[in-house]
Amino acid sequence: MTQLLNAMHTCPACGLLCDDISSDAIARQQLSCGKAAKFYARSVKHPSAQIHGRAVTVREAVKAAATMLTQATSPLVAGSSTDVHGARALVDLSHATHASMTHLNASSTLRNMQVLQHRGWQTTTLTEVRNRADVILMIGTDVVSHNARFFERVVWVDEAMFTNAAQRKIIYLGGDDLNTKPGVSPDGHAPEVIACASAHLPEVVAALRALVLDKPVTGTQVAGVAVSTLKALADTLKAAKYATLVWVSKDLHYAHAELTIEHITETVVALNQKSRAMGLSMGGSDGDTSVNYAHTWLNGVIIDQPDWESHDVVVWVNSYSPDAMPPAGAAPVIVLGASDSAFATPPAVFIPVATPGLECDGQMFRVDGSVTLPLTAAKPDDLPSLREVVNQILTTLEQGALA
Amino acid sequence: MITVLKNAKVVDPAHGKDGVVQDIYIRDGRIVARPAANEKIDEVFDLNGKIVMAGAIDMHSHIGGGKVNIARMLLPEYQEMRRMQEPEAHICGPNCSHHATPNTTDTGMRYIEMGYTAAFEPAVLAVNARQAHMEMGDTPMIDKGGYAMLGNDDYLLRLLSQNADQKTINDYVAWTLHATQTIGIKVVNPGGISAFKFNERRQDLDQLHSYYNITPRRILQALSRAVNEVGIAKPLHVHCNNLGVAGNFQTTLDTMGASDGLPMHLTHIQFHSYGTEGDKKFSSAAANIAEAVNKNKHITVDVGQILFGQTVTASGDNMMQHLNAKVANPKKSVIMDIECDAGCGVVPFKYRDQNYVNALQWAIGLEVFLSVDDPWRIFLTTDHPNGAPFTSYPHLIRLLMDKTFRNDAFDKLNLDAQAMSNLKALEREYSLYEIAIMTRAAPAKLIGLRDRGHLGEGAAADITVYTEQADKEAMFAKPDLVFKDGQLVVKEGKVVKVVWGATHTVKPAFDLGIERDIKQYFDRYHTMQMHNFKISNDQIAEDGRNHVINHTQG
Repeated sequence: MTQLLNAMHTCPACGLLCDDISSDAIARQQLSCGKAAKFYARSVKHPSAQIHGRAVTVREAVKAAATMLTQATSPLVAGSSTDVHGARALVDLSHATHASMTHLNASSTLRNMQVLQHRGWQTTTLTEVRNRADVILMIGTDVVSHNARFFERVVWVDEAMFTNAAQRKIIYLGGDDLNTKPGVSPDGHAPEVIACASAHLPEVVAALRALVLDKPVTGTQVAGVAVSTLKALADTLKAAKYATLVWVSKDLHYAHAELTIEHITETVVALNQKSRAMGLSMGGSDGDTSVNYAHTWLNGVIIDQPDWESHDVVVWVNSYSPDAMPPAGAAPVIVLGASDSAFATPPAVFIPVATPGLECDGQMFRVDGSVTLPLTAAKPDDLPSLREVVNQILTTLEQGALA
Repeated sequence: MITVLKNAKVVDPAHGKDGVVQDIYIRDGRIVARPAANEKIDEVFDLNGKIVMAGAIDMHSHIGGGKVNIARMLLPEYQEMRRMQEPEAHICGPNCSHHATPNTTDTGMRYIEMGYTAAFEPAVLAVNARQAHMEMGDTPMIDKGGYAMLGNDDYLLRLLSQNADQKTINDYVAWTLHATQTIGIKVVNPGGISAFKFNERRQDLDQLHSYYNITPRRILQALSRAVNEVGIAKPLHVHCNNLGVAGNFQTTLDTMGASDGLPMHLTHIQFHSYGTEGDKKFSSAAANIAEAVNKNKHITVDVGQILFGQTVTASGDNMMQHLNAKVANPKKSVIMDIECDAGCGVVPFKYRDQNYVNALQWAIGLEVFLSVDDPWRIFLTTDHPNGAPFTSYPHLIRLLMDKTFRNDAFDKLNLDAQAMSNLKALEREYSLYEIAIMTRAAPAKLIGLRDRGHLGEGAAADITVYTEQADKEAMFAKPDLVFKDGQLVVKEGKVVKVVWGATHTVKPAFDLGIERDIKQYFDRYHTMQMHNFKISNDQIAEDGRNHVINHTQG
């Protein structure tokens, strides 16, 4: 029994955290999701620690990192691609070194946070959507580019408690190069696609909000979309038993896109005056939700916006994005990263750490924020955890302070 | 290692001691009998007659989990709040930061500095328990624990609507306690959070749920019986229907009868003690509520006192918080439906002494405190942060112990509210002994912490030492010494040693057969596997700080 349970892994490759990944499927490389396939295809490597590309012992690398951090006037903890335990370790490191702390996905995370901190929002989670949603409106996104199994795991399910899953109404509003095929129902019913370029979403979503609020919208078109189409959409949302309005912050990446998100969330607020609707922010990767949440409970505030110019050392963690590095020309970089990290230019210091969910266990937040799942090592290895390496650096810093 | 606290003036209601001067011996974190004469005493604190109580226990404080963290994210402006001067009738002490959304470190530090050695998160969404434990695990200095929320989860509502037998419900309740690593069960607006998802806006105690065709009363019956029959100490923790609604006192009175005489705890009862008298159709029903509490010996309550100033309300009750969002201050809020399990509503509030309703809420809470006779059945809470941050407890204690102070504050209230309250007619002043009951002995007894909340031999050496002062706010804000599990951790109001505390749980026996049905439910309807829902002892202890203390029940 235990063996069977342990054979199931939770995939940290995107915010959906599918927890039905069998060891068998990993071994046979039979994974339907491209991100999962890529993640589990990563092979455990045992590179030595490095200083400017030169192989050194971990002890030497830790000492070099501690020296750089001691000499720095303004370090930055960035990338932060890790799980909750890694985030805790990085917060400790940021406290000890007076560093700011940000994340690879800070711009998309903070776009959502701007909306939250301005007006709040009304949102739901995946199991509610799975069992209740009769109308799912995706705005500026196909979701599947980020969360490939969204329709399989949440929408076109065999059974839902309060709605007929196969008859859900799927609507796409705007976005660029969407893959709307997963929106086709199992019995072949096509989704409604209201085309409009992402750049025009601000006007179109503002008009939709106005129509939901029964405000007059003059003219026949908004950015090429017929007002009658939007009016019909507003009526569909109002008539729904549980309308779900989905966005992906990363797909709304134009100037002041937070205002578009706020129009979405305030449309939900307006709908909830008389009927039921909820927002759902999808996407997520690199433990972004975990790091922002843990940073918030440990510090009382959300993660920082990166400001590459004003820092003189960067601590970079890339567990789920081994190819990612800070922008070229940034300050000297200490990488506490994936064993299969790929560098165009060797960083000042590199110390390999275990990736949670691949080489060690961990815990991670799902993109909807309320659910946290344990991660189990699919390819267990004795690489040190991020916590262990951070603790070595902290010890060295303390000894340096005493010396 | 033996430590002795000499000449302690002990206030220990669990042993009937009210100011008995004695020596207390501590060995290996426990209070022990006087050692043999030849044993070496390692450390001596001569207390010279200072007041000694067990560490205080907050039995209802939102210290961890999704809602609290959403509040932190929602309100960056609160980080600046501790520098602001609070106007109005709340006369803050130096420790009253009015910081409604402290980070986990601050939470532990501020509690221990006030002599509190444990706090219990009363609204752990079962599906969110892992996060709640992560946050509590990152809360230093104090012990923690949680009550798991049931009664709006579709699994239980399906069982009830299918007339499942009580044994099945008992097994599910016990399974939930195991899976979520909690020590009690709470129900929030029974049936109402679920009904909101079906577009209902109110749920009354005897009104059928629009989908499941069962009443909140039935939910309360089933859960109070389950909690009783699985044999855990903590009675069902009940947040009644109709939170905050004028006239809701009748629902509260009716709810007292819903458990058929089995023990039940009604939480933040201040928010459920409202009448509809007067021009503004909002009045105090504290007298009715207190009379009923005095009469119904199976009922315990905590107050959920409001204090004036800025705070944030974080509740599982998204149905009622959705209504309250209209009066949010600042004007923003978060409302969530969560995983066919529960919901949440986070709404910032500013309670003002010149606002009629707020002023009366303040008076109602104090009226309830002063009118319930038995301090073993009423607990000191502000429903942190909903009524006020827990850092205002010393102020609240002074309001209870000092009639002049209380009446001076009352005189500053909105005049219409003054006219509607009989607070000044209530002469009662709580004694130190009664404060020790309601903050130590009674919560330990209620939750089932046999070795906490008292100073008898065998008790954990969670001990607080105070200098007796006329100003009770000053006295309770800054104890001289605090010991956690025998270690000196606070000296003159400042933390001198960081410790991490433990998480208290109960694990009653149950028929494992229930798990087959629960697993089937997860496989059919959930978006996670059942085994990932369950939290292990090892996961609680991860990162090496926390550990589980399980309380086996006799």
